This record gives sequence, C-alpha cells and structure tokens, in this order.
Amino acid sequence: MPTSIPRGYVRMPDIEFQSPISHGPISTPDGSVSIEDETSTTKVVVRAAAGTAAAADLGVPYGQSRLRADGTLVCGTRPDEWTLFAAAGRAAEVIAPVDTDGFVNAIDITHGRAMMRVSGPKATALLAKVCNIDLADDMTPDGAVFSGSVAKVTCDLLRADRAGEASYLISCERSFGSYLFAALADASTEFGASLPAGLSIH
Amino acid sequence: MNPNRLPVRPGEVIDRETSLAFTWNGRPHTGHRGDTIASALAADGVDVFARSMKYKRRRGIMTADHWDPNLFVQVGDEPNVRAGSRRLVAGMEVSAQNVWPNLRFDIGAANQLVGRFLSSGFYYKTFMRPKWLWHHLYQKVLRKFAPGGRIHWETSTHGAYDKRYAHPDVLVAGGGPAGMGAAIAAAEAGASVMLVEHEPDLGGHLRWGDADDLAVLADLAAAVESHPGIEVLVDSTVTGRYDHNWIAVMQRSHEIAPERLIKARAGSLVVAPGLIERPYVFAGNDTPGVMLSGAVRRLINLWAVRPGTRAVVLSANPEGDAAIADLEAAGVEIVAALDARAGEDIVEVEGRGRVGNVVLGDGRTVSADLVVIGTGWTAPTSLLNMAGDRPVYDPTAARYFPNQLPDDVLATGGITGNGTTAELVEHGRATGTLAANRALRNRHDRRSSTARARSPEGPIPESLHDTRASLARTPHPECYRSSSHGMVDFSEDVSSKDLVQASREGFDSIELMKRYTTVTMGPSQGKLETVNAAAVLAETRSMDMVDIGTTVWRPPFAPISLGALAGRIFEPIRRSALQDWHEDHGASPLLAGQWVRPDHYGDPVAEARNVRENVGIIDVTPLGKLDLRGPDVTKLLELVYVNRWQKLDVGRVRYGTMVAEDGVVSDDGVTGRLGEDHYLMTTTSSGAGAIWEMLEDYLQTYRPDWNVHVTAVTGGLTSINVAGPRCRELLLRLVEGVDLSPDAFPYFHVRRGTVAGVPDCIIWRIGFTGELSYEVHVPSGHALHVWESLLANGEDLGIMPFGVESQRILRLEKGHYIVGQDTDGLTKAPSAGLGGLVKLDKPDTLGLPELRAAYARTDLPILVAIQTDDPEVVPMEADQIVDGDSNRILGRITSSRMSPTLGRSVCLGQVDPSLAAAGSKVTILLIDGRRILGTVQEHHAHVDPEGVRQNA
Amino acid sequence: MIVVNCPHCGPRNSSDLRPCGEVTTRPDPATASLSEWRTYLYLRENPAGWVTETWYCRSGCRRYFTIERNTATNETRSSEAS
Repeated sequence: MPTSIPRGYVRMPDIEFQSPISHGPISTPDGSVSIEDETSTTKVVVRAAAGTAAAADLGVPYGQSRLRADGTLVCGTRPDEWTLFAAAGRAAEVIAPVDTDGFVNAIDITHGRAMMRVSGPKATALLAKVCNIDLADDMTPDGAVFSGSVAKVTCDLLRADRAGEASYLISCERSFGSYLFAALADASTEFGASLPAGLSIH
Repeated sequence: MNPNRLPVRPGEVIDRETSLAFTWNGRPHTGHRGDTIASALAADGVDVFARSMKYKRRRGIMTADHWDPNLFVQVGDEPNVRAGSRRLVAGMEVSAQNVWPNLRFDIGAANQLVGRFLSSGFYYKTFMRPKWLWHHLYQKVLRKFAPGGRIHWETSTHGAYDKRYAHPDVLVAGGGPAGMGAAIAAAEAGASVMLVEHEPDLGGHLRWGDADDLAVLADLAAAVESHPGIEVLVDSTVTGRYDHNWIAVMQRSHEIAPERLIKARAGSLVVAPGLIERPYVFAGNDTPGVMLSGAVRRLINLWAVRPGTRAVVLSANPEGDAAIADLEAAGVEIVAALDARAGEDIVEVEGRGRVGNVVLGDGRTVSADLVVIGTGWTAPTSLLNMAGDRPVYDPTAARYFPNQLPDDVLATGGITGNGTTAELVEHGRATGTLAANRALRNRHDRRSSTARARSPEGPIPESLHDTRASLARTPHPECYRSSSHGMVDFSEDVSSKDLVQASREGFDSIELMKRYTTVTMGPSQGKLETVNAAAVLAETRSMDMVDIGTTVWRPPFAPISLGALAGRIFEPIRRSALQDWHEDHGASPLLAGQWVRPDHYGDPVAEARNVRENVGIIDVTPLGKLDLRGPDVTKLLELVYVNRWQKLDVGRVRYGTMVAEDGVVSDDGVTGRLGEDHYLMTTTSSGAGAIWEMLEDYLQTYRPDWNVHVTAVTGGLTSINVAGPRCRELLLRLVEGVDLSPDAFPYFHVRRGTVAGVPDCIIWRIGFTGELSYEVHVPSGHALHVWESLLANGEDLGIMPFGVESQRILRLEKGHYIVGQDTDGLTKAPSAGLGGLVKLDKPDTLGLPELRAAYARTDLPILVAIQTDDPEVVPMEADQIVDGDSNRILGRITSSRMSPTLGRSVCLGQVDPSLAAAGSKVTILLIDGRRILGTVQEHHAHVDPEGVRQNA
Repeated sequence: MIVVNCPHCGPRNSSDLRPCGEVTTRPDPATASLSEWRTYLYLRENPAGWVTETWYCRSGCRRYFTIERNTATNETRSSEAS
C-alpha cells in the first residue's frame, strides 16, 4: 500500500466485476457434465401486476421462458415476476424499455444473484442428487422455469438445453454462490469430475 | 481346494476360473467370483460364523441369503456386513464379530449355564438398582456383550455416503418372476420403472430352481435389462413407504458410496417381495447345521456348496421336497425324510459346533450333520402395512395375505398367493399394467403447465379396472413349534420358553410381549420370527392366530446405516464478497447462522480502540436488506414497526423495532427512504429470512390491496460500516456526488453516490458503535474494490478493519441491545426499554392488543445498563441477578464485556422493575458461586450517552 | 413427506413449503379485546379430518395459499372444493 495518499481509486471501466465463484469450469473427462460460472450475466427482475403493459410485453407466464429478438432471455420466475437475462453489463439497456405504467418495478439484481450452468448428458442426473424436483421432460422440459431447493439452497432454475443436451441455469442468492458451486462440483464427482484443491463442502 | 465344493451345477453363479484370496479371522481362504462370503467359507468347511447375542451360542448358516440372522461379520473396518449376500472380493479381511474373546472359546457361552437369569425382562429386572452400579458396573459389562462389530473411525477408508432423488412412475419392490413381470409390463405401458431387488441378482426363487426356472429367469432378466424404461437396482432394499408414495430405497450396489439413500416419489408402488421361509421352533434349532430348505438349495445350486453329508429333512411343502432332490443330486445322504403334512416331526437336535444327533417325533434318534427345515412361509407384508394395510391371517394357507390397499400400492407374486412360474409372471404383468395405468393417469394430471404449453396434450389414459385373477391360496399345514421349546428370535436370542414366561407374567398381547422380551426387535426386524412369536402366544393363550395379530411393521424394512441417512454434508454457508479478503488477512472465522464472518483479525480490543480513536471498517453484509417499492410502503412500515413512519422524508433514515402479534420483540433495524416510493429496510442478520416471509404474508393474505414489491438484496449489497472520528475525512477522499458536511448530511440521513469510482452506492449515516459512522452499501461485484480503496486511502488516518467481536464491545459500550441476546422469546416491547418509541395510538400495528396489555403492566422485567462495583469483574452472559443472599432470581446479565474505552466492566441486563431505577444495587451470582454487587445506570449507554460522538 | 399441491408450482414435497396452520381471521386490533386477540393467536380447531390450511411456498413461488387437508389421511384438495 502506498504511504502518501493519492485519491487512490481507479475509474469504473477498470473495476472488474467479481463473482463469488473463484473456480474455473468443472467438467468430467468424458464431457458428460460441466459446471460453469455465469454470474456476470446481467439479471434484471421485473415485478409487474397482472394487466399492466409490462406484463403483456414480457409475454410468458410463470414457468416458461422465451428468447427475445434482442437476445434477452425472458423467464417467468414467479407469478407476476420475470427475470431477464442478458449479456454482462447491459442492465440499463434491459431496464430502460420496461413499460412502468401501473404497478411495475424493474430492479437490477446482477450483483445479488450468483449463477451457474450445469450442462451435459449427465446434467439431469447430477441435479437429481441435490434437487427433489421431477426433472422429466413432461414436467420440466427445455425452456421450463422453476424454483426449488438445490443442495438446501433455494434457487431459480431454467432449463436451457444446448445443442440438444440438457443444460440448466441455476441462480441463487449471491452469498450462497461459492457454497453452491462446491456442492454441485461435489455431486459431479460421481460422473468422473475431479475437484481442484480448495473446492470442497466436506 | 474347497472341500465342500461340488462339481459344476447348471445354475451356479460362481466363476471357477477365478480364485479370490481372503482371510477369515486371520486365516487364509479362497473362493470364486460370484461367491458370497458365506458360500466361500461354507465351501471351505466353516460351520460357525458367529456367536449369538445373549447366550453366545455358536451360530452357522440358516438362510444363506440377505436376511440370515447368523451371518453378520466384520469386513475390514466395516461392521455388520451380511455375509449371506455380500459378494466376495479378493483381499477381504473378514472376521467374526460379537465374539469376546474369540469364536472358538467364548467366555460368554457360560451365559448358557445361567440362561434363566437372562430370560424375559432380564434387563428390566436386573439393571434397575442400585442405580449407582449402572455407571460403575452394568454399563461396562453390557458393553462387552453388546452385539455388533467395530468401527475404526481413525483409520477408516470408508467413503462418504450419498443420496439422490427419483421420480419413477412405477417402483417395483422385488425382482422375482412377478416383480420382473410387473416391471416389464409397466414399462411396455409407457411408465418409467425402478425395479429394486435386495439380492445382488434378479430372479428371486428362480435362481436356485430347475432348468425351466432358469430359462424363464434368463428371458425375464434379458427383457428387464434391455428395456430403456426400467432402471434396475440390485443389492438394494426398499426400506420404507411413506405418505403419497414417498419411498426410501437403500442402494448398496453403486461405487459412489457404501450405501446410497434414494428418495423416490413413485406414482405406483408394486410390492413383490415373494415369501420368506420361516424357521421352525424346536430344541436346538439354532445349532449350526440346521438350515432352511431355501438355504441348502441356494448353497447347492448357486454356489455348488455341499451343505453337509448326512441330512434329516422335515418338509411341509413342495419347496422342501425339492430340497431333498437337490441334496440327493449333491450326493448328500438322506438319513430321514420327514413329511410334516403326515404329522412327522423333529423334537430335538443335539450338537454344539455342528448338528450331531437328531431326535425325531417318533422317538428315534438318528445321527446326522445337517437338518433341513421346510415348514412354511412368511409373507413380508411390511411395505403394505406402511401403506395402511392390516394383512389378515389365513389358517388354511398358514400365512398372512394383503387386505385393503390404497390405489397407488399394489401387491403381486407370492405375497398374494401361490402359482406356477407362468402364473406368477402373468399376475406380475397384469399388476404392472394396472400400476402403470394408475401412475400415468396421475402423471397426466400432474403434467406441468409449462410442459402442456410446449407440446400438445395427449388424452388421459383410460382407467383400467382391476381384473386380475387372484393367485390360489394353496393349503399348507400350520407348522410353528414342535413339542419342544427352541429359539424364536435368532437375532435377539429369545426362545419360545421366554415368550411363554412373558405371557404368564401378564405381557400377553403381542405388542407388550415384543417390548418385554425384545422378540422381533433385532436386525431381522421380525421377518423370520414375528409369526412364530404370534403362534407361541396363540398356543399359550389358546387363541386363534387371527385374533393374536402381529406386531406393527414400521420402517425401516431392513436396518439402515446412520451414515446413509445423513448422506453427504449439505450445510449451506453464506459468504460476503469480502470474506476471502478477511480470511487472507488473518480473520478468525465466526459462524453466525449460515454466515461465516470475521470475528476479529487478531486483537479485537485494539480494533475497538482504533474505532474510538481513528477509523475502522467492518463488513456488515449479513444485515438483512429488503428493497421495498410501491405506493403503499409507508402503510406496511406502520403495520410492522411499533413506531411511526408517516413523516419520513426522502433522504431520511429511521430506527424501528418490530414485535410479533404476541407483542414479543422480533427484530429491529433501520429503514431509509431512497425515493418517493422506494425504501431500503435492514433487519437483523438472523431475522432477514423470517422478516421477508412475514412481510409477504401480510401483503398477500392481510392487505392484498396494498401495492408493495419486496425484493431481498442482502447479498447484492455489500455493507461496509466506516466508523470513527476520522471516517468523514476518509470518505471525503473517495465519495463523489454527495456533500458529506455535517449540516448537509446529518445523522440518520441517507444519500446515494459514487464511492471509489463505484456508482449506485447507498450511504447512510447511522451507527451501532456510537461513533461518527457511515454505512456504505456497495453493489457486491465491486465491493472488494471499495474495501481495498478505503484501506489504501485511510492508511495515514490509522485505518484498521474490525470484526464482529470489536463491534460487540463498541455497541455494548453504547448500550445498543441485540434482539435475541438482550431480549428473548418472552421479551415484550416494554421490557426492551423502548419507552416512547412504541405508539399505542396507531389504528393498526402488529401485536397492538398485546402491546396495550403489556404497557398496562408494572411487573415486567426491564432492560437496563449495569456496572459492577468492582470494575475488574466481568460477569458471564446469563449470570443470574438474585435477591441478596437468597437464590430468588430477579433478572440476568444479557451482555457483558470489559470496556477498553472506560477500562471497566460494562453490562446490559434484564431486571425486575423494582431494581430498574438508576442507582439500584443488584446482586449478581457468578458461575463460581461468588456474589458481587452492581449498580443500575441511568442510561443504556455507558459511553457518550449524549451522543456527541455519533452526531459529530 | 407429503405432497402439497401449490396452485402455482404444482405438486411439491412438503419440505419445500412452510405449513402456516389453520386459516385464521385477524381481528381488528384497534377494537379487539385481549381475549379475542388471544383466541386468534393461540386457539385452533385441530380436527381429525378436513381442515383449511395456509401454506407458504418457500422454495417455489413464494406465495401463500390455502388448501384443504385431511389431518387423518393427509389427503389434500383445493380449498375451492369445499
């Protein structure tokens, strides 16, 4: 640390966004499952009462999701509540077009939620070790949005398959992020993943 | 090499090309792949596997399967391994357990001589008194004799246990012909199926059957294993069925863990456990060499082991007759083939390490080394009982049958009746079809709206009627006990004589008898002994079996390791964005609820002093933070806080206390108004979740007309308290867009601005420490940058981070109470010393009638600040305040510390109102018995009661 | 572990929800006597049979809802069915 005091900070563009997850992706040698940190994704929650223009614009009911033309993923995360996912650093652009007529609020929760993606042919089997929700295709198909307990942490989940393979986006309160990542990594050892030092829930 | 190994048998499951070396009590043995531990040892001529629990009698193979009560062994560091089903692995170190000092010479066998002292109710009668002997003698003696193996937790290589969830449409418990038939038919009907078999292979009794049985088995197993809709779990047990078909499956066959608990929610449960062969009660029936017919057939046909050389066979059924044929094929001489259907019987077996002489019902005594019993079957109805069924005894067939089952539980196979293999498979198939139909109809109803939206709705499957033809109930003689007395419960060493005695002593209902004698309470859990126990009781009381009933079968169906129930360790831990920094800088971790926090960085007293003298920063992220938006937030605040909220201007912050509807203080914190319809509420760290749920409760169920959106932002905003006389000087270097001068930004105000280049920070001027302080709430992804910028820019100001312990010291000096520490579950608002904060004239606030009642009382304890007269003595938190020399309690110390600022001990405490006035003397009873005096202070604050420092 | 049908999330394990007990009506605190208030706080019917209950869908939609449950059999049905 310097001994004389400059106005010692750097400007925003140089300030890095810090994820609660300090480990790189975990994957099995055979590619059956991978776990990646996607916390930097822009996340905006929109609360909009039924009948508002915002609710109509968002256009998907609770439990479903759609990819908007602008690349924003719109998820019906709860009754009268949507979570919008977009590329990192786009919160303002996602919030601006929300029609705030009526009882509507849009809040940037990017900093408040950790997010990780579990993918691969064994992704569903991995989740079944830590989540009691029925992950069958006729309950939680591709595009399904649901909430539940994952390794005892309440999470919002989105099934967003990639290239025909099961893939889940899992988000939780930020402070649980490092624990949840470790818990998922621990569950992945059954499928052949080996864990880096320091990543353990035991 | 193995003296008892037979030439190749057609259905054998051993691979004779392999030779697996292992040890038994330290001596080398070999077996083949496919052997169980028991079959390999039996092939090598081992007769005695264990000593019985109470009388320490020698015990050998009785059932040669998973349920054998005599075959619990120690394998390496794993106790209680079932040698009857555990497959042999090269290098296993197997030893007998429960044998002190060893298997051959066992001092406990002397108990046989004093057996009458160990009879019914022995423990109740003997170890009652004198009480002091329990600790000094009884416990130690009983430990020596206690059953079970040893765990070597220091050196164990035993891995972690595991769990998983499953949602099969149809779960089939039992992989015999009916169970496999059910699984195949259910899968063909489109259901997802989980097929669970407790033995390591599918097939049930077909496995040790004739060529036709083996052919059917091969076909069924191939169909099961090739169907993608069937998940097969062998060496796994369905241990319980709970409400709404919540089913516990204990899987032992997965490499991820020694045992894995599968929690399955099944649409339908098909119970197909087959029948369990029942022992026969006669003198010496637990002598090694007395085996059930199934045991000898398994030994001969699966593992090519000759179970003896000269056999007496007592048979009451075709399976017993088949054993005679198998024995003859194996070259065993049949000394006597007794037909129980014709009244022939065995009275007694003599022999210690092995059967020697057999006394027959006609009075003859013959010499033999093997006695084979095929006298009947027990229906393992356990899972049906757990589903609410009360099976009924049928004296004609001499066993119990299912009675009334709920729609989502179906039974098939031997438990429902007798039949040829083809009939059993057909009944299984019909049951599987029906089970699938019910499950799929249910699934159709449950199909999620999301799935419905994604793909078109198929029609609901038409409901099938139960048109299954019942399996026959073939007549079978009731063979329970010979004319002699013998063992009923092999696990617990309970004999029929013990049961007769218990009945005579008045414990003559089956449930009382069970608890008094411990019959059915061992690892067999009644599978082998329940019906015999009921039969002995019926005989003793001259009653019908139907009227005796059975003990209630409860989960688990088979013992479960506690480790398997615990599973993997999921203890969610919450970490702030700064916790890595804290740990990298020497912080002692403190677990506070789910949060891990810095307790201190080495010297909490120095950290506290530094806050009073210079400036310190503390990470207070765990403070609950709720973002409240909407036109009706003020109404909500008025409802949930005891104080007023109507006139809070934008930019102001107010402290509030919450009480529950019963008037008990539930939480406190500050709430700031950020915009016209936008507030930020803070709660205690531990109360954050509950307060959020409480707000939603009132908003959703009590005032749904109010428009308020509550969003939890606790982890999203990293909260840093910057405290100390030089904190303004520090923040001036880092904050942009906010005028920090005392007039522009006074105490209890909030501003939004940029801190260290990070925009959208919320800064409010409050303080728990009593110093000039600002709480900065930073978007968490940028929190570390702000924290490090504060430290770098405050170096010349003497900045130090401080932890939770210093904060506790500082807040106690200032007299701020902590909900849950200085209050408890009975502390009503007046007892917290809230004084004028509580507004009783509001039209609606939580607990208002209780608050009115509480404020009308004069007898409630009051929270006060106390200083000990001897400044060096720091009472412990929870030390009692008593009435002089008596032990009448007048209060307690709730917080206490040595104050670095005052150089003396300071406390908060709850006291009787008679002691609440400033200057009152209180007597504090210390834990070492000393009584010291303390003085009640005028203010809660020991330091700076006027608030000069915080208002600077 | 019973199944509770959340009107928003569908069938869920009861461990995902918080049972809030029998539906009660909060008296007007401005006028309620202490006795009326304590009846609201503490006294419940607790029948062996059908009861209308509030549940909170804690791990799911975070909505409070009411269902009917038979306390003797754990059978449930929507509260509109009564």
